[in-house]
Amino acid sequence: MNEYASRVLANLQALYPNEPEYLQSVGAWLDMVSPVLSRSTAYEKMDLLSRMVEPERIFAFLVPWTDDQGQAHTNHGYRVQFNSAIGPYKGGLRFQPSVNAGVVKFLGFEQTYKNALTGLPIGGAAGGADFDPRGKSNREVMRFCQSFMMALYRYIGADTDIPAGDIGVGAREIGYLYGEYKRLTGRSESSALTGKGLTYGGSKIRLEAAGFGAVYFLARMLEHAGETLEGKRIAASGFGNMTWGVCRKAAKLGAKVVTLSGPDGYVYDPDGVTTQEKFDFMAEMRASGYDRVEDYAERFGVEFYPGKKPWEVPADIAMPCATQNEFDIDDAVLLLANDVRYYVEAANMPATAQALKLLRLTPGKIRTAGAKAAGSGGVAVSALEMVQNSLRYSWSRAEVDRRLQEIMSGIYDASAAAAEHYGLGYDLIAGNDIAAFEKISAAMLAQGL
Amino acid sequence: MSFQNPYLDGLMERVVRRNPAEPEFHQAVREVLQSLDPVVTAKPVYITEGVMECLVEPERIIKFRVPWEDDKGQIHVNRGFRVQFSSAIGPYKGGLRFHPSVYEGIIKFLGFEQIFKNSLTGLPIGGGKGGSDFDPKGKSDAEVMRFCQSFMSELFKYIGPDTDVPAGDIGVGGREIGFLFGQYKRLANEFTGVLTGKGLSYGGSLARTEATGYGLCYFADNMLQAAGKSFDGRTVAVSGSGNVAIYACEKASQLGGKVVTMSDSNGYIVDKNGIDLPLVKQLKEVERKRIREYVKSHPEAEYHEGCSGIWQTPCDIALPCATQNELDGASAQALIRNGCFAVAEGANMPCTPEAIDAFQAAGLLFAPAKASNAGGVATSALEMSQNSMRFSWTFEEVDEKLKGIMADIYRHASEAAEQYGMAGNLVAGANIAGFVKVADSMLAYGLV
Repeated sequence: MNEYASRVLANLQALYPNEPEYLQSVGAWLDMVSPVLSRSTAYEKMDLLSRMVEPERIFAFLVPWTDDQGQAHTNHGYRVQFNSAIGPYKGGLRFQPSVNAGVVKFLGFEQTYKNALTGLPIGGAAGGADFDPRGKSNREVMRFCQSFMMALYRYIGADTDIPAGDIGVGAREIGYLYGEYKRLTGRSESSALTGKGLTYGGSKIRLEAAGFGAVYFLARMLEHAGETLEGKRIAASGFGNMTWGVCRKAAKLGAKVVTLSGPDGYVYDPDGVTTQEKFDFMAEMRASGYDRVEDYAERFGVEFYPGKKPWEVPADIAMPCATQNEFDIDDAVLLLANDVRYYVEAANMPATAQALKLLRLTPGKIRTAGAKAAGSGGVAVSALEMVQNSLRYSWSRAEVDRRLQEIMSGIYDASAAAAEHYGLGYDLIAGNDIAAFEKISAAMLAQGL
Repeated sequence: MSFQNPYLDGLMERVVRRNPAEPEFHQAVREVLQSLDPVVTAKPVYITEGVMECLVEPERIIKFRVPWEDDKGQIHVNRGFRVQFSSAIGPYKGGLRFHPSVYEGIIKFLGFEQIFKNSLTGLPIGGGKGGSDFDPKGKSDAEVMRFCQSFMSELFKYIGPDTDVPAGDIGVGGREIGFLFGQYKRLANEFTGVLTGKGLSYGGSLARTEATGYGLCYFADNMLQAAGKSFDGRTVAVSGSGNVAIYACEKASQLGGKVVTMSDSNGYIVDKNGIDLPLVKQLKEVERKRIREYVKSHPEAEYHEGCSGIWQTPCDIALPCATQNELDGASAQALIRNGCFAVAEGANMPCTPEAIDAFQAAGLLFAPAKASNAGGVATSALEMSQNSMRFSWTFEEVDEKLKGIMADIYRHASEAAEQYGMAGNLVAGANIAGFVKVADSMLAYGLV
């Protein structure tokens, strides 16, 4: 690691010893961008790194609310406004018991460098609360969201900070949050939140966006190797929005997803998840809330493997679409043994650091794309939702889809070019971090201290 | 010189009396009023409803002190200005100039001119101008940053994407806009299109650099086509070697012209084979060298010390793109003698009044800067559109829109000239077309 970067990291370690996710992701990033840092002393002269790895501003607030029995509860809410060099702060809200200041800071950091390469004017942020929407009634969720927004509304706005959903914050929560924001400000400022419903300012393709985007990114990797998606077999994990989007776009482009997974195990469908009937059944499984994938095996008469992960299935391509750290070193070894040639992350940070390192160190056998690049279709369409709100006009499905494809292509090109420029071959993960670093550092240097 | 409409004599006298010791402002008002003489006679409502009186008075002038500290700890106090001249057709829009010569009269003169130029673009932008008597020359980056931050700490109260959108001008380039934008964002806690001329990484527009030069040639091409001529196969003289000159040269060549001259403040080059533009770009944009270096690579070309001789070079079309008053009466006579048939201004006010009179008397096609170099501000307005949409256009999309805007400006200016019996007089036509849109909006609003 570059010497200046090491000092900045040591300083963070001393300041924030209790924030392991944050320290881990900053450490990995500093490693990736070290080749750039070593080329100019301007970064250190302006002490730029210190301002790139810490948030511009952090808000922490209490969120009191009453449950249906009249019992009061008090949760902790956060908003980390990480970086506004290239646009207003933008990033999701997560409602989950594990949320704390360190987790939100880590998410805000990752978001900043993910957003940069979409080519759209959005800075980086994240927020949330240690509230668990599971097992709560709609009324309870509504009262919580209203109390949360009562604290948050004074810090956000269409030109300042635009939250979206994340784990525990879906269409229902966004609806309640937006309703309260509109009531408090007295303005119908629809681009103050994204992930809205279609009736009040949402964008088409928003639910499919992350899955579609990952497949578009994959298509460019195949094209680079002189291949296409036609006839390719994809092992995917999860069965939610992301996997659903991957299945649909892959089928459309001639490939087939042959596995789906849940907390209970995985299913293997040798014919592929390629028909409307199967897509619709996935949506039903998700809506049911049972959180199990075995039902698919029963419905379509395919094999179910309880308690196992889909990475043991021989395929051309592996796409983790479920959750963080779902893919470990044993899975990586399996992929290499099975001659899987592409590994494309759609979920956020699905691989452990070890697993990812092994894949990156064997570029001759497998080509690897990280979540910050391949998984950015979701935030890209969030930004397109802001564009449509600003235009006071909605685009058709085809138009949003076309722009999403262009954005994913742009991210691919920028990542590949940066890797090439710094002599890193086809390391798209390093290329992505470097290209994002260059864009944000240029804007920060231009704007002075 | 007096006016045919006696009301204008009174108005002009009043402007001089109420704005003493501001000769640049007097001159700019007089020039515009001369063009408007037949308009106010034909439509006296502009007089009776007070439009003319309001037009020559800025809506608001803000003056403030700008204290800053140099690298040695010495305190300096400069003056800052923002003249919000007219918001009749859109938020105030106009550049900031950092130059020791800046005082209220200069900013007023520039703000007044900006109203008509902005109106001509057809985009919703009013007129404003600002700046300071601060000289960025010889200052360190850190000093310029501290000055810009102090300047913006006061200015930010008066501007905004829907109120007033400053841009760059002399002494305010990409570096200064970056520092100003950073400070505005920090003070206002919002990321908006409050300034134009921004860097591409934080909201700037593609084609902004090329815009003035390309726009000049698009305008000139429209003017030539209307006279049954074109750039094709013509010899073109361009002065200057900054952004305007370089991209005028590029576009003129793309349209079939052969550019044979370019210059800088030391002298000029003549290359009969046509200027080698990639070399000029290398010298000026990359190596920051003088234009005389050109002849080292092209010994067949000539270098002449001093700039005044450049217009002695025989050409069909002249594009003065260097600086104000670079083309005087004698130069104009030389161009006419050598058979030049069209002159289009790329710089701001490069031709002296004597030169313009000579061109018009000799029947040359003449495009005044207010119209022909409006491509720069037009693209600034397109930057505002993109910021408002939160989306960026491609280079080709911006260029295509610029081309359409320049064609519209030509059409409106030439139609206005014809309507008031001055066919072909684009100086008057540009002033009239710019004025009518602003004045009719003012009539609609009543006395405000």
